Amino acid sequence: MKPVLVADSLSLVYSDHGKEVFACQDISLSVNEGEFVGILGPSGSGKSSLLYLLSGLKNPTSGTVSFEGQNLHSLDDNSRSNLRLRKFGFVFQQPYLLGYLSALENILTVSQDRDFALELLNSLGMKAKANRLPHELSGGERQRVCIARALVNRPSVIFADEPTAALDHKNGKAVVELLNQHRGNGSLVMVTHDISMIEQADRKLTISESRLIP
Amino acid sequence: MSRTASPLAPTTFLRRNAGKTIPLVIVITLAVMLVQSIIALINSIPLSIRTIYGYSSAFLAVSPRLDPSLTPTLVEILKDKPPVEMDRYMLCRGSSAQVKSIVGKWPFAVMAMEPGDLKYYLGRQGVSKIEGRLPQVGAAEMIVSRPVASNLGVKIGTILLKPEDNENFSRKPVKVVGIAETDRWLMLGDKKYYADSQPIPLDFVLAFTKNINEQSKFDYWAEEKLKGQFAQVFAYHQIKKQSEEMFGILYRILNAVILVLVIVITFMMGMLMNIYQTQRLVEFGLLQAIGFTKTQLLKRVISESILVIIGGWIFGLIVARGLLIIAKKVLMDPQAFALETHRPLRWIFRTQWRLRIQSLFLWRFSSWR
Repeated sequence: MKPVLVADSLSLVYSDHGKEVFACQDISLSVNEGEFVGILGPSGSGKSSLLYLLSGLKNPTSGTVSFEGQNLHSLDDNSRSNLRLRKFGFVFQQPYLLGYLSALENILTVSQDRDFALELLNSLGMKAKANRLPHELSGGERQRVCIARALVNRPSVIFADEPTAALDHKNGKAVVELLNQHRGNGSLVMVTHDISMIEQADRKLTISESRLIP
Repeated sequence: MSRTASPLAPTTFLRRNAGKTIPLVIVITLAVMLVQSIIALINSIPLSIRTIYGYSSAFLAVSPRLDPSLTPTLVEILKDKPPVEMDRYMLCRGSSAQVKSIVGKWPFAVMAMEPGDLKYYLGRQGVSKIEGRLPQVGAAEMIVSRPVASNLGVKIGTILLKPEDNENFSRKPVKVVGIAETDRWLMLGDKKYYADSQPIPLDFVLAFTKNINEQSKFDYWAEEKLKGQFAQVFAYHQIKKQSEEMFGILYRILNAVILVLVIVITFMMGMLMNIYQTQRLVEFGLLQAIGFTKTQLLKRVISESILVIIGGWIFGLIVARGLLIIAKKVLMDPQAFALETHRPLRWIFRTQWRLRIQSLFLWRFSSWR
């Protein structure tokens, strides 16, 4: 399978009271087309930072990330934002939605394809609640809307940052299953501290103290 | 694929967050009302002058200085080759009274004429009807116009000029016997009564052009012609000029006050917009993470801010205008006080630089964080 996302010697260093702290240290990995990569690590191990580097949300201190052969961090801010909007999908720890927009409208913030948005909501069991506002939905339902938003542009890569963190175990498993089922040909990179959430992953990686463990 | 408009349109946020948007619009509205009210009051001062002394635009008045016997000479000078066709010259007597304006009491001329001249003068001032009658020859009687009657609260039968009243003095009590229906401010008496009661026989000249639109041309001509003579000229354009000079310093101070007020309001609005947008940092962070550029988000913030501010300004202008009109009808008109509510062009002119300053500050305050 063809690699779609390649990270080479990625490091992210920040300064804490004059002391250098590594959020990620010398990480290299590749994600193939359609592959589900689960990255497991405890809190503070650097897994969220790695996800932000892979998705272009943060710039690495050193190393590169290539998406479809193009160095992500050589792109200007606008091009990178556009890439995130068109080619990437994001599911965060908290089900962040715009409170004044309905479930359907939240999905339509990133796409104008109303039919596909409704189709996604239907397949995620949310069609009946398409016009509800976020505060009228449960946590699991809100996260499903976030999944629909992440999938509506048929992204090449979906980044999921502990998408089950705000849910109970049962709902968390259901959300991961839905995400895995509906991602189509898109790759899925999910970071979590709960190994049971990445049971379906094609490949499981472990991160500890900012490094990937071979 | 059915396509749909973006739910991120600025109007969507504003409509669906009415609880946040409306208080902001109300603050802007109140600020605009405050500024417009001050401007209305400032503009009302020259309007009061133009209104109260507007009667003097219908003629030129010339009074001899030092020597009352000069009046016939002055008439001869005025009759000598005027630049426009003249309609009438008349000799009058007069005294002064007080009327009320929004900035206190102002002096007002009581003019006394012969019956024929009085009828002509009333016609010249556009009097359509008289309630009551004209003063009788030699009687201590007077006629006032409707605005004067409203302003001073007089009715037919009221004694307006009295021997004991220093501001409205007459040797005998002078009774109002008629009220003239016109917008002009008029106080008119009988010349014979004045001639009998004034020891100094000081007649002044009123000169009327045939065409009232040419009065101003004649006034300037007469002013030039009477230079160096023992004569005092009273023309409408002088009143306007003097009023502008008289209130010049006041206007400059008030303009500075308004400028400070506008800056304070602009800062306040900028800070409010800043607080308003800062509450939405999570929303902007989310949108930026999922692929919106800073430029797109900044455009959105600016569009929303502009909509709120323009909405607030327009609403403020409409409400302030409405309240001023109500205040004029309810509070001012019954006392014939002038209140400026009809100078939209002047307002727009002032608004333009106000908006420019405001845009500058808002750009600074609303800039992307």
